[in-house]
Amino acid sequence: MSNTDTYEREGVDQDTVEAVRTVGQKYKYGFSTDIEMEYAPKGVNADIVKLISKKNDEPSWMTDWRLSALKRWEKLVEPNWAMVNYPEIDFQDIHYYAKPKSMEKKPKSLAEVDPKLLETYEKLGIPLKEQIILAGVEVGVDGTQEQRKVAVDAVFDSVSVGTTFKTELKAAGVIFCSISEAIREYPDLVKKYLGSVVPQSDNYYATLNAAVFTDGSFVYVPPGVRCPMELSTYFRINAENTGQFERTLIIADKGSYVSYLEGCTAPQRDTNQLHAAVVELVIEEDAEIKYSTVQNWYPGDENGKGGIYNFVTKRADCRGDRAKVMWTQVETGSAVTWKYPSCILRGNESQGEFYSIAITNNHQQADTGTKMVHLGQNTKSRIVSKGISAGFAQNTYRGLVSMHPKAKKSRNFTQCDSLLIGDKCGAHTIPYIECKNNSSRIEHEATTSKVDDDQLFYCHQRGIGEEEAVALIVNGFCKDVLQALPMEFAMEAQALVAISLEGSVG
Amino acid sequence: MPKTNLTEQKISSYSLPTEASWAIKSRKSALNWLETTGLPNRRDEYWKNTDPSYFNTIKKPERNKIDYVENSIFENIDRINIVFEDGYFNASKSDELLLKGIEIDTISVANQKDNHWSANYFGVLEKSSQVPVERTLASLNTAFAVEGLAIRITDKIDKPISITYLHTNDTSDVLIHHVIKIEKNASVTILESGGVASRSNCLMEVFVCENAEFDHVRVQGRSHEKIAVTHLFANLLKDSSMKSFTLTVNGKSIRNEYVVDINGENSKAHLGGAAVGDRGFSQDDTIFVSHNNPNCESRQVFKKVLRNGAKGVFQGKILVKDGAQKTDGYQISQGLMLDDDSSFLAKPELEIYADDVICSHGSTCGEIDNAALFYLTSRGIPMAEAQDMLVLAFLNDAIEEISDESIRTIIGSRLKDWMVKRHKS
Amino acid sequence: MLYINNLNVELENEKKKILNGVNLDINAGEVHAIMGPNGSGKSTLSYVLSGKDGYRVTEGSATFEGREILELSPDERASLGLFLAFQYPVEIPGVGNMTFLRTALNSQRKSRGVEELSAAEFLKIVREKAKNLKIDAEMLKRPVNVGFSGGEKKRNEILQMAMLEPKMCILDETDSGLDVDAMKLVAEGVNALRSKDRSFLVITHYQRLLDHIVPDVVHIMADGKIIKSGGADLALEVENNGYSDLLAEYN
Repeated sequence: MSNTDTYEREGVDQDTVEAVRTVGQKYKYGFSTDIEMEYAPKGVNADIVKLISKKNDEPSWMTDWRLSALKRWEKLVEPNWAMVNYPEIDFQDIHYYAKPKSMEKKPKSLAEVDPKLLETYEKLGIPLKEQIILAGVEVGVDGTQEQRKVAVDAVFDSVSVGTTFKTELKAAGVIFCSISEAIREYPDLVKKYLGSVVPQSDNYYATLNAAVFTDGSFVYVPPGVRCPMELSTYFRINAENTGQFERTLIIADKGSYVSYLEGCTAPQRDTNQLHAAVVELVIEEDAEIKYSTVQNWYPGDENGKGGIYNFVTKRADCRGDRAKVMWTQVETGSAVTWKYPSCILRGNESQGEFYSIAITNNHQQADTGTKMVHLGQNTKSRIVSKGISAGFAQNTYRGLVSMHPKAKKSRNFTQCDSLLIGDKCGAHTIPYIECKNNSSRIEHEATTSKVDDDQLFYCHQRGIGEEEAVALIVNGFCKDVLQALPMEFAMEAQALVAISLEGSVG
Repeated sequence: MPKTNLTEQKISSYSLPTEASWAIKSRKSALNWLETTGLPNRRDEYWKNTDPSYFNTIKKPERNKIDYVENSIFENIDRINIVFEDGYFNASKSDELLLKGIEIDTISVANQKDNHWSANYFGVLEKSSQVPVERTLASLNTAFAVEGLAIRITDKIDKPISITYLHTNDTSDVLIHHVIKIEKNASVTILESGGVASRSNCLMEVFVCENAEFDHVRVQGRSHEKIAVTHLFANLLKDSSMKSFTLTVNGKSIRNEYVVDINGENSKAHLGGAAVGDRGFSQDDTIFVSHNNPNCESRQVFKKVLRNGAKGVFQGKILVKDGAQKTDGYQISQGLMLDDDSSFLAKPELEIYADDVICSHGSTCGEIDNAALFYLTSRGIPMAEAQDMLVLAFLNDAIEEISDESIRTIIGSRLKDWMVKRHKS
Repeated sequence: MLYINNLNVELENEKKKILNGVNLDINAGEVHAIMGPNGSGKSTLSYVLSGKDGYRVTEGSATFEGREILELSPDERASLGLFLAFQYPVEIPGVGNMTFLRTALNSQRKSRGVEELSAAEFLKIVREKAKNLKIDAEMLKRPVNVGFSGGEKKRNEILQMAMLEPKMCILDETDSGLDVDAMKLVAEGVNALRSKDRSFLVITHYQRLLDHIVPDVVHIMADGKIIKSGGADLALEVENNGYSDLLAEYN
């Protein structure tokens, strides 16, 4: 290894170590904001769905769409094939709509947003620097002028509280707003694309989401436009006994490009909260979407009490030739995660990539992975999954790679590694491989191991403590994925890796 | 047809034999499980890629064209030969069964005796292998199979025991159930070969005791029309080892299930398989290897060469239980597709609850490597021969799992034979 | 021996021209070198002559001992006596080096109507030739090129050349990735094979290999054609002045 390499690594690792030191609490986003809320009654039925629709001033076609989803959902049974265990969820014991009272009248600008809300974002600290941006100040991490701007849509419980940089985006022709606004302002686009990637009937949670989603983000990038800044949505569940059901729809029209970041947190609560989101990406000819997630929902305490149930359906449809999508996820939070961001590679020469770090500690359970469905010719996909399991946690990679008969000369490469810390946790790998033509090639590799004793000893011998050494090694293990993240997220993710594993050794 | 209805009809087409009480107890227990659970159907996760109706139906299999009536592929090996003809033990064609270190009875004899050694073993592994995945075709076998062998090995046996299954009746539909126990420090090689029957359901329960060795090579006959489901259940005690290799050439639908329970320290289980086929060939290896104790090793090496509409399925799982530290588990499944209308479907699984382990799996599929093909032909090797070389090279890792060199050669020549015929068809 | 006339070649999948009318005559016993900057089409020429997929000949011809070869399959060309030492020798897991070599040799003998070599005869010859190239028995047992170092792979190529005794040897960047000692060893192997009936086409980016394998004729290739030919001193000119002067002259 060259000297420069060593220095770079030391630099990076030092940041991680620093992050571990500075974060006193185990889950630093565990505060709740005391804001007067307006709730809909608990439970889900046609009246609740109509109420949600009415609260969002939706046109009747939208209300009907929701009602047809509800009708379907009522006939469905909750799936149980994932390797996760949790007590039965009473779907009638959840508030499907909660909204800060101050949002009754829609704020026209951020200045009109309840200061307490903004304070919440302030408290959230490091991760996205949204609070800076939300406040309208354009400064970088270190206080210097930042080159890259990030436009943010923040969703607080069920409703969007404000989108930044709207004018600047508008000048570029990019639409970035809450989905409720899009339904009112751009009904043709919404009608054309909503449910076209994840149909209402897709699965239990997606169907429920179609009926009761309250808000979410909407992005449309017109043909040939390279979105001038990173777009970001920040999700926060605050209210107790509330489900969050956001819906995101991103359309990259021909030849366009957009990078989208998503961050999630929730307060510490003893009870489990439900999050069932749907994300749909439409990628037309020669367009590209990068979608990055740092999911840090409250994972529950050391004994597995509380935490978010995260049942999310994310899918990208590469409709046009040479369309590209890249999913990157860092999953450190939630008590239970059920999530498979997928790529439908329909266009010829389209490409799908999936980079994932899933960390489970204490009693967390994650069943996550991806589906790469190759339909077009010369399509390519790449999967890099790093699962880390500590404490009493269970971490499962579940994935599908499918080459259809017509997807000639397509390629897939999958690397799927699991790391175990401690002998009470589990790591599982369940890939499905389906190849139906001979000119395509699939390569799948998976390994499971523990943190290498020799590496640990080497660190110790050089004076590095147990937790720091583990954080260092785990960060090295995740490097391929961390590198795929946009810079703003990479540092945060690295810090999260260390924080999530606190208390897992020794 | 509803599941229970099919199961009921299937059950009513057989009857329980009159035997010693321990045998009846085992059979009734299997029957009870079959009745409550039902035969597999297409909606079962474990039957996602292979249609169980080939094995489930009550009516006799379609009249088979028996394209190969063959003596054992192992004919030239010095062995103890035991012959089954269309599923029935044939004493006159078999060698003498009274040999030092070996006790062999047919199960129809053994199950009549009140105190036969197999009383504690018949149906035991089949029963314990019903969780977490139901294998009711095996229950069907335990409940109704009246043919098969109870083999007990008490010494190191040099000569392989070769079981030859002659297939002459074109509508034969058989159940065969073997129980094998290899006592402490003993070892044996079991060879199986032949077409068995038009439809067969063969089951083998193998108990490998302390420091014992079990070597198993199976060649499933060449008939294009045969339908076969097999179960190999093995239980390994400490310091023991097993090796099992299966060659499948042709067939309509072949499903080989393996359940290996590693129950002692320092044991090894190696499973290998090579499958080649065409013309609507459907071949499925479904494997479950469970590491219940520390310091054990397992290998799964399965290769499939597919052509002309063939389908290759692999479902293999390594389970490492809590406490099974220092496990070394490896699994590779590969499909080589020689033309464009074949398919390869794989589900290689790892389920791991211990941290100090080295477990990995790989799975690939694709066509012949064109760079290698060009390299070979650029050295003057004709295209067809170059392809054959690469096909054999592809299968090589699996064949290497056979310990005996002369058997490896026999397997290699059977594969070459298939390739020569392929060029003609 | 090998006559290439106005050879024009493009990639099969994209309409990209690689060779733009290559003319080259190599007589029996001659050693020709082709030099040229990266991307000038040197390797493509070697692939097209040996029959690799992925290229379309749009114009021109190549005759080897009076036979048009461009329509022949790679193994037919090999059997006629055409040999390519690969820049990147292919790894073939599962196929033993000896098995591979013997199959190749006997296939070629068979197609020429010569009796196949017995295992014993073959073994004797291969051991002797391997010894000269410092290839040990263990290396012969391993699968073709698998786990070989760069130098071992190139020596293995020369061993194959020595065994197959081709009439026309094309060496594609044989010196790439070799240190001086390894290069000398390879060059010695090649020189030992020089004879009045055997010709060589040595493709290289650098002059240094030509210190060891001295060519009769040196060609400079650029833009998919030969822009200048000369004696061995032309290589030195390139070594001293680089390609830019020659390219400027051509343009």
